[in-house]
Amino acid sequence: MTILATEGLTKRFPRVTALDRLTVTAGTGVTGLVGANGAGKSTLIKILLGLLPPTEGSATVLGLNPATQAFDIRRAVGYMPEHDCLPPDMSATEFTVHMAQMSGLPRSAARERAADTLRHVGLYEERYRPIGGYSTGMRQRVKLAQALVHDPKVVFLDEPTNGLDPQGRDDMLALIRRIGMEFGISVVVTSHLLGELERVCDHVIVIDGGRLLRSSAIGDFTQATQLITVEVEEGQQSLAERLTAEGQKVTLHGRLLTVAVGSPATFDIVRDAVCDLDLSLVRLEQGRHRIEDVFREEVSNV
Amino acid sequence: MSEPIPAPAPGPQLMPTGVIHDIGYRHYDGPRLGRGHALGALTLHSLRGVFGLGRTARAKIMPFLLAGVMMLPAVVSIAVMAMIKRPGLPYPAYAVTMQAVLAVFLAAQSPYLVAPDLRFRVLPLYLSRPTTTGDYVAAKLAAMALALFLLIAAPLTVLYAGELLVDLPGPPHTHDYFAALATAVVYAVLLSSIGVALASFTPRRGLGVASVIAVYLLSSAISAVLVGVLMSVSRDSAATWAWLINPFFLVDAVQVWIFGTDPNNDGGYPSGVGGPVAVLAVLAVIALCVTALVLRYRKAASS
Repeated sequence: MTILATEGLTKRFPRVTALDRLTVTAGTGVTGLVGANGAGKSTLIKILLGLLPPTEGSATVLGLNPATQAFDIRRAVGYMPEHDCLPPDMSATEFTVHMAQMSGLPRSAARERAADTLRHVGLYEERYRPIGGYSTGMRQRVKLAQALVHDPKVVFLDEPTNGLDPQGRDDMLALIRRIGMEFGISVVVTSHLLGELERVCDHVIVIDGGRLLRSSAIGDFTQATQLITVEVEEGQQSLAERLTAEGQKVTLHGRLLTVAVGSPATFDIVRDAVCDLDLSLVRLEQGRHRIEDVFREEVSNV
Repeated sequence: MSEPIPAPAPGPQLMPTGVIHDIGYRHYDGPRLGRGHALGALTLHSLRGVFGLGRTARAKIMPFLLAGVMMLPAVVSIAVMAMIKRPGLPYPAYAVTMQAVLAVFLAAQSPYLVAPDLRFRVLPLYLSRPTTTGDYVAAKLAAMALALFLLIAAPLTVLYAGELLVDLPGPPHTHDYFAALATAVVYAVLLSSIGVALASFTPRRGLGVASVIAVYLLSSAISAVLVGVLMSVSRDSAATWAWLINPFFLVDAVQVWIFGTDPNNDGGYPSGVGGPVAVLAVLAVIALCVTALVLRYRKAASS
């Protein structure tokens, strides 16, 4: 089932083009939307919610058109914005109940759902205290709770791991995974870190400068981006030649060599090559799947 | 306490109460109400917020203090009626007499309605739900208007109940009471649209408070100075027009024209076209403020 689809979607602001003929589709499960800051992720979400009219092209969410059926979409969708959006003088419970009512739930149902949802996102006794005293991690949970409280079919999470420490990041990602799997709510989550989304997404869409760079299932992604980084003190050139001669795919980035891992034997070949050439190995590590890698790859493929 | 306390059931039935069972995620399949419900919820939420309900104790001080002050003349009037059997403060004069209190209430509370949503960016959450900017503006205006109406109507009603109980010689001033209630609606709508519109232009509450109070002080000062000057040069009919610059006397002029009550200023209001002009002016100010609000929020929504 397709939860969202866009066809030639374009959004031009007076000075910038935020989206440039974007055509993507996403199915159920967890979909990652990756792009650098300013790539057009937030603009895309706003268009899908019917908050911004597209300049050209069309979009559908759950088969509904945001331009004409925005209310039906917003009833069935939850949205967690990237920025802070919580009033400091209310408690999390009150705020979540209020937001549930704003989504159309009757008061008693709103209370029940708010209590449930806050428990699911991991807020317990502190939910009765004013939000002003919360840590960033707790705020992110409240923001997530208000997006889930009306039991939507899809949630749009804009940079949910922003500003969190590594532990908070892991918790948030685990929670997103649970929402997609256990709760049965489709998730569209944006991030500028591909590596982060890799852990929770079924499908990843990469956009840059408002254009689609890549859209594929997560399996294809990890395979293609399985790289190791090798750093040696000198003799990078000879090492690169040696490895290429052994049939490895090697790219040279200044002091660093990136080697594509075809099979576990690659690691042995690298080790032997370094030993044979008598080089001093500084570092041998799993390549970080950063957004730049995908960009570099795409550009070199063109 | 003749009933024997039942002994706790032995064995496995003895379970601690208050255990939270993780029953997993439950979907909601109950009713989902429409826009009207959301509008009502936002209005009620805002109205509670104006009086500091559901907020910190400090937020309750100002509105309840001012509501208490609004009640004082009613209490004193009832005491006067009961003890020296003379009528107290007339109903149509109540709001005009207490205009400073109403202005302070408007200035102190209308920024609360709109400024935090702009400052803490809660607005996008409302707009990502089945609510339009128009609904949002309507709910905020309705909340402030209801609050002001309560602030004026509650002491009037207490005063009327007091008058009926004291039972002065002669018929009760029922016509005046209902005229004042109807005028309270005009006060509430006019003042709330001015206050909320001014407050919505800044996300800072302090600035909002200052701008609302400044507009009130300016309009009342300009009006008073003009009246003084024009009276001193004996141009009394021009002076009657100058009163209308103050929004409270403007509404009083409407009251005088529609209900035939006594004017609450020195020298009365312009006769002839004065009444219709005052009504038109009230409507024009309301329309201007609502338009400004709608445009303001349309801009806020697209940013």
